Amino acid sequence: MIKRRLLAAAFLVLSVPLIPMGVQAQVQTVRVGVDVDAGTLDPRLARDTSAYRATDLIYDGLVRLSPDLKPEPNLAQSWQNPDPKTWIFKLRDGVTFHDGSPLTADDVVFTYQTLLKPELNAPLRSLFTPIAKVEATDPKTVVFTLSSPYAPLLTYLEMGIVSKKAVEGGADIGLKPIGTGPMKLARWNRGSRMVLEPNPNYWAGVSKLKELQLVVISDNTARAQAFEAKDLDLIQSPLSPQDIKRLQANAQFGNAVTSGLGITYLNFNTGEATLADPKLRRALAMLVDQKTIVGDIYQGVDREASSILLPSSWAFSANIKQPTFDVAGAKKAIEALGWRMAGNVYTKDGKKLSVVLSTHSEDPNRVQSVEFMQSIFQQAGVEATVRVTDWPAFSANYVQKSQHQVALLGWLNIVDPDRLMYGQFHSKGTLNWSKYNNPALDKLLDEGREALDINLRKTAYGKAAQIIADDLPYYVLSYQGYQMFYSKALGTVKPNPRGYLRDVIAFQKK
Amino acid sequence: MKKLGTLRINVSLVTGLVISLSILFAALAAPLIATHGVEQMDMRNRFAGPSMEHWLGTDNFGRDLWTRLIYGARISLSIALIPVFVAAVLGTLVGLVAGYFGGWVDLLLMRVADVFLGFPALILVLAIVAVMGPGILNVSLALVVIFWTDYARVVRSSTLVLREQAYVLAARAVGASHMRILFREILPNAWGPVLVLATLGIGNAILTESALSFLGFGVPPPQPTWGWTLAYGTRFMRSEPWLAIISGLAIMVTVLGFNLLGDGLRDLLDPKGLSRGPHTRPSAKS
Amino acid sequence: MLAYVIRRLLLLIPTAAGMVVITFSLLLLIPGDPAAVLLGQEASQADIANLRATLGLDLPWGTQLARYVGALLQGDMGRSLFQNESVSSIIGARIGATAELAVAALVIAIVIGVSLGVLAAMRQGTKVDTALMLLAQLGVSMPVYWLGILLMLAFSVKLGWLPAIGRGEPLGSAVWAALSGQPAVLADSIAHLLLPAFALGVNSAAIISRLVRTSMIEVLQEDFVRTAYAKGLRRTRVMVRHALRNALLPVISIIGLRFGLLLGGGVLTETIFGWPGLGQLTIAAISQRDLPLVQGIVLCFAMMFALVNLLVDLSYSLVDPRVRMA
Repeated sequence: MIKRRLLAAAFLVLSVPLIPMGVQAQVQTVRVGVDVDAGTLDPRLARDTSAYRATDLIYDGLVRLSPDLKPEPNLAQSWQNPDPKTWIFKLRDGVTFHDGSPLTADDVVFTYQTLLKPELNAPLRSLFTPIAKVEATDPKTVVFTLSSPYAPLLTYLEMGIVSKKAVEGGADIGLKPIGTGPMKLARWNRGSRMVLEPNPNYWAGVSKLKELQLVVISDNTARAQAFEAKDLDLIQSPLSPQDIKRLQANAQFGNAVTSGLGITYLNFNTGEATLADPKLRRALAMLVDQKTIVGDIYQGVDREASSILLPSSWAFSANIKQPTFDVAGAKKAIEALGWRMAGNVYTKDGKKLSVVLSTHSEDPNRVQSVEFMQSIFQQAGVEATVRVTDWPAFSANYVQKSQHQVALLGWLNIVDPDRLMYGQFHSKGTLNWSKYNNPALDKLLDEGREALDINLRKTAYGKAAQIIADDLPYYVLSYQGYQMFYSKALGTVKPNPRGYLRDVIAFQKK
Repeated sequence: MKKLGTLRINVSLVTGLVISLSILFAALAAPLIATHGVEQMDMRNRFAGPSMEHWLGTDNFGRDLWTRLIYGARISLSIALIPVFVAAVLGTLVGLVAGYFGGWVDLLLMRVADVFLGFPALILVLAIVAVMGPGILNVSLALVVIFWTDYARVVRSSTLVLREQAYVLAARAVGASHMRILFREILPNAWGPVLVLATLGIGNAILTESALSFLGFGVPPPQPTWGWTLAYGTRFMRSEPWLAIISGLAIMVTVLGFNLLGDGLRDLLDPKGLSRGPHTRPSAKS
Repeated sequence: MLAYVIRRLLLLIPTAAGMVVITFSLLLLIPGDPAAVLLGQEASQADIANLRATLGLDLPWGTQLARYVGALLQGDMGRSLFQNESVSSIIGARIGATAELAVAALVIAIVIGVSLGVLAAMRQGTKVDTALMLLAQLGVSMPVYWLGILLMLAFSVKLGWLPAIGRGEPLGSAVWAALSGQPAVLADSIAHLLLPAFALGVNSAAIISRLVRTSMIEVLQEDFVRTAYAKGLRRTRVMVRHALRNALLPVISIIGLRFGLLLGGGVLTETIFGWPGLGQLTIAAISQRDLPLVQGIVLCFAMMFALVNLLVDLSYSLVDPRVRMA
């Protein structure tokens, strides 16, 4: 009996050194949950978040944006700007594509020339139209000639460079991508799982992972559940606010939060009879209970917006403010415009004051916001109807054709103020669904776009934002937050506002 | 002598009747028995459980669930009753004509029915609602498209049998017109299974509407449809399950009531079980 | 017999034609421009119009339909607008998943349905019978996605016994793997399959159980059963050998029909459980206005449904020679 106990004790003592003392084994496979499957892996044609995140790993661009949106050298070692319309990039040496062929200036030229051709039908073509000419002056130098100065250009040159040889040789890089990036495509079960593996020849170092998987789970709650069940190692926005709260309370999981690069906003159709008067738009904006929507419906994961400038942007100024929630004030303003209460609704010349509040069905928070707004509008005497359809019927067929009155939707990837303002508010802008036309604003937006000095740009955009906050073609509801939850086995992961995953792939830098 | 448990039939019929009539009553009397305004929000009191003030608790906007559910009954029942009625009429007409005239008319009409039967039901309804846009009327009309074939087949089967009956042949011999025979002689004997199907169809319609709302295609808010209440409920299920549970129960109890009623009626009106036939399409709800 | 089969197959053609025309028209009528969805919000209207022209979406309805049918007759179902792959290969990749789910649901439905139905018939008139039939009624009255989410909540999230989302290895290769010494793969596949198959199958289980019960009760009154009892055979022997076999005849046609419906009806179940089948794909494709893909899937469903119906009718007439083939 005593002998057995001694043996057991001996066993225990001897086995102690065999227990790893806080050493964490290197994670081999990281499974990231994503909400959509990438539509394509051709960086010129990418248009969904998964495609952006995947192409960020598979390709490199001329520059790379730091988490606070400053362009840093990537494939381009250095650049110069001899005059406002010319940019010269010097490429670094020793970069090869996944198929072994070397990166040259021709590949860069090819990428941008094809991008600009309308036949390619690139979704983001309009961001690059100020580029008049791209040419390679020697195998390591690329020159961009612009038709007019274009300050945001550098931030957009983050796009991945494709291999001219591969594409001209007939390869379908949308399905079988060939880039210079740290990861390459191992296999892809369309609609369910994409598996990436390290590129052993990556110029900046090699990932220590065996694989990175992008697992498609479109329902936000289902994805959160899969993460909790440990079927996933990392999930990020979009997530539903309830799940975010619950995951935050769970100490088992790492959590990283940062401001996102998106906004949720109300698009007022200024070309429409009822909404043509900015004073009425201001009155309606005063009926939006921003605090409750952001605090209760979104449960505080986003931030209340004060203007069209993002707080994370260099252009931000806290002095610019939109109208705040004030039902009494709104009613006074409406009555000042000649409307009188008849029954429960304001009427003027026999017509009721009525608006259609619309949004798309896929986002339950937006649907709830609209339902909530409708209730307040009705109580204040503005007859409000809710129109909810799915995204294509809402966006392509309704808002984009300027058939709406008040629409709730969002913008993403706002890496530069120009991206949120030029197309949307300039009279020549291609995204001006509000039908807003203000020559003073046009001038400011042109200045912001063409000035290369950041302080000049900041002034111009500050003034532009004030005009927008007064005239309200947009009422910005909230600044989107970005949330990431990850398994602690990954260590500490730095968040990236666009959900890019380079920090996750555990480089071993050269 | 068959001892099919006559006690059971009566229980089914009676229970079904009690439940369905209660729901019907609640729907009709909604303005009288509601305790709060349908759209009365109270954001400080969201997701409350049952209490003296809110008998069934509140929803994600703090609106009283008892009120929302009984007003929701109105919408759900209208959405259910309209397509059932229209489909029954349409289907019966088609079935009568097909069964009576036979030949190529029958072949043609049944092929048309086959075309509609071949679609996965939910997808067909979804596509039609997407085309027509959201709204109570549109959803109801879309549902007709997937329901009418059942009535057509059932009535056709009955008609095939009935047209050989002695009294029908006698009427033909006397020179009665086809219309007269169809509506005076055949239809009165064929409507039993139709009524059964109609009762069962109500539950089906309610379930399909809630499925559409879940997918984002149903009648839009702020209409208090059960489908949207359940759709919101399922989104919040992890943290606030009560909303989903109560709205799911409302749907289930109502559908159960009408199904029991239909079953009870079947034993009375359709002893041959024609409405149970192998080629009826049971549901679009999975 | 052969003539019957050929006639049924020939009749498929006008049905299929009708379905193609209806689907085509519906899809073209649904508001929402696929080109705009493809290019996203930041594309200009000019770029969108350009893409529409490239995709041939601006051509008149008749021309588009003619083109589609022409290609179809050559076996080409077109290319998905969003996935850059041929529709047939996309469907081919997913059809296994849908079929697997439908078969699993059917198996569960038969096992549960038949056992409960027999039990109820044997205990006819008692509380057990009433309770079982009430259960069956509940099974038919429940919204399937509600049940699915409840199951997921209970078994995946709270108890952690089963995975919530997705599919393991296809059963075929999983069985193979198990036989070659990797039983964990098979266990994983089955674990992923259980919840969705159960959620999908409950409805059919309820219907089958009611039918089995009625059928068994009728058969149990029959003379030949009394004869068997009179002969002194034991009760269970009578039940299984004589009564059950005959009682199952009408159930066979229901089973076939249910299978056809399960194939096309798993849309919600697939969506909730992230099961990568055709149903989930259809919803996604409609949401994106991926017209060729939706068209292809609907056609596929139609063919499957018609084929299953044909097989059911054939087998029914084989099993019961009294049935004439109308």
